[in-house]
Amino acid sequence: MPTRFLALALVVPALAVIVLLFIVPLAASVVGAFEVGGGYGLGNFTKTFEFYAPDIAFTVLIVALSTGLIGIFAVAIGGYLTLGENPRTVAALRWLYRWPLFIPFIVVGQIFRTFIAKNGPVNNLLVNAGLIAPFDAVSLLDWRGIVLAFVWKQTPFVALLLAGAMASIDRGTIEAARNLGASRLRILMEIVVPQVATTLLVGLILSFVTMMSVLSVPLMINAQSPTMLTVDIAFRINAYGDYGVANALGLVSLLITASVAVIYLRVSMRERT
Amino acid sequence: MKTLLPAVLALGLAVAPAAADTLTVITAGDQNMVDYVNEYLGPLFEKDNPGHKVRVVGTGPGDSGSQKISERFEAQAKASTANWDVDVAVVHEKFAGPMVKAGYLDAYRNKIDSGKLVTRDNAKMALGANVDGYVMPMFNSQTALAYNPALLKDPPKTYQDLAAWVKAHPKQFGYNGIKGGASGVSFVMGWIYAFGDGDAKKLMNGPFDEAETKKWDKAFASLKEFTQNATLTPGNAGTLDMLARGEIAIGPVWVDMFYSWQADGRLPPTLKLVLPAPGMPGQPMHYVIPAKSPNRDLAAKFVALATSPKVQAEGIVKRFNWYPGIDAEHVKAQLDSATWEKLFTEIKPSDLANYGKPFPIAPYNNAILEAYERQAAK
Repeated sequence: MPTRFLALALVVPALAVIVLLFIVPLAASVVGAFEVGGGYGLGNFTKTFEFYAPDIAFTVLIVALSTGLIGIFAVAIGGYLTLGENPRTVAALRWLYRWPLFIPFIVVGQIFRTFIAKNGPVNNLLVNAGLIAPFDAVSLLDWRGIVLAFVWKQTPFVALLLAGAMASIDRGTIEAARNLGASRLRILMEIVVPQVATTLLVGLILSFVTMMSVLSVPLMINAQSPTMLTVDIAFRINAYGDYGVANALGLVSLLITASVAVIYLRVSMRERT
Repeated sequence: MKTLLPAVLALGLAVAPAAADTLTVITAGDQNMVDYVNEYLGPLFEKDNPGHKVRVVGTGPGDSGSQKISERFEAQAKASTANWDVDVAVVHEKFAGPMVKAGYLDAYRNKIDSGKLVTRDNAKMALGANVDGYVMPMFNSQTALAYNPALLKDPPKTYQDLAAWVKAHPKQFGYNGIKGGASGVSFVMGWIYAFGDGDAKKLMNGPFDEAETKKWDKAFASLKEFTQNATLTPGNAGTLDMLARGEIAIGPVWVDMFYSWQADGRLPPTLKLVLPAPGMPGQPMHYVIPAKSPNRDLAAKFVALATSPKVQAEGIVKRFNWYPGIDAEHVKAQLDSATWEKLFTEIKPSDLANYGKPFPIAPYNNAILEAYERQAAK
């Protein structure tokens, strides 16, 4: 009994921090989403869907597309690091790919804001190289800019996790496939990726949730219509002082991330049983 | 930040209670407002009034900065404090009216010399509230259309001309919508002044009438079509960036930002400004003196100095490229012609008087933003 008490006492501080700093504000925000005037109701949600339904769809599409691209690039990078045969290029890639990890989202937004503008460096380069005509240059400062920034920033994170997992799988399986004459792509897709699928999933889900919460990138690149939910939440508060609809929008994005988390839980449960 | 600021503020004011010879100035706005008092206005005042010191506290940018000042006054009024801890405050236009109404402020304008030099209506009415006598404008900021003469020789002089031009030249006009900063918001307000079926004066002066908000449908339908032919820019600075890179030919900007960027070399010197009819909004920031300030006379002296033609010329126009708070003609005499011409060649004082409008009063302001989201942005 005393050990049990001791264990409880040890857990209390951590629990208190979680309750005070996480559960209470979250609960306040959820309750706030239902506060209308003096009472409770669904008014904030009606308004949320009336005003921001396109933005909700936009957010889900942007983040889903980014997550997909991140997965593809991370597998490619991790795969090359594991299966690459030229030690120099492997070393160079290993050194290079992590850089975006250390750049904050706001800086990523700032870089891309000029980099991919209509008359920005990317288009200038293409024009000077004779690849496109000047009047064909288009600004990528719309949904494409957001996707580019997200993928650029989050790919290294997933690739880092994935490369670690790939390095620890049994090399014997790879060697066996190689001896039987399988191509590297086939080894990657049929031998390596299935063995690290859980890690990939975890990385992608963490990226998904992170991207859902980024305000700076859409704000710097495309705060227009449609835009991402984070921009709308900030706008409701800054322009109208309207915490009700902001909370409702927050709850909507929470539900979106929760649905992803459920997929993850299901998969990991299935693996365990 | 939000919780830290008031705490620091409270601490700062608590550890150094206002002595008889210390003037406490509290200002909303960016750090440059604090620097302006610390580096320029304060030393100038201390030189003129030996023995007195000026202490400045910043409450942060935007409306929330003014909101904090307002809450500070409210708290001291409720506590029936005899001597408040603020002598001079600088607040946004939106907050002047409620402060006057609550009886927090001293009517000092007619007691100081520079009070007679104020001519703009926004020193009398602040977004529909009578503030005559209680406020002295520190400066006026204004939005206008910046354009690139290389791409657009003859800029549109009215919103109607602009709409027609944009139709003929798709994607050449850029603005930042309403979620990316106030220059876009200002452009939208100007659009409603120009094309709304209601009375623009009522939007600016009140009173609020729900029926008025139903008169904008046509204006928003045309704005939606207009926006499809426009380029949407990322923020106030985004519009200026795109102008600088030649990606758009024309777009709404803050005039002071425009001049500052040009002075820094971030905008080509060839870009120009035009203020289209029937006008675009701008806003002043006001000096106010609490009625319970322990140093009311000294405070009035401070504001008199700050709004004297010389300081308005040196500090406001030359340093910040803001429009002066007092009548521009009085400031002209204090400025070299180059500085004057820079500020007024493109937008003449008469244009400013005719087309420099206030923002709509708060309830109309919110109603227009929501209507934009509902009708023009989808």
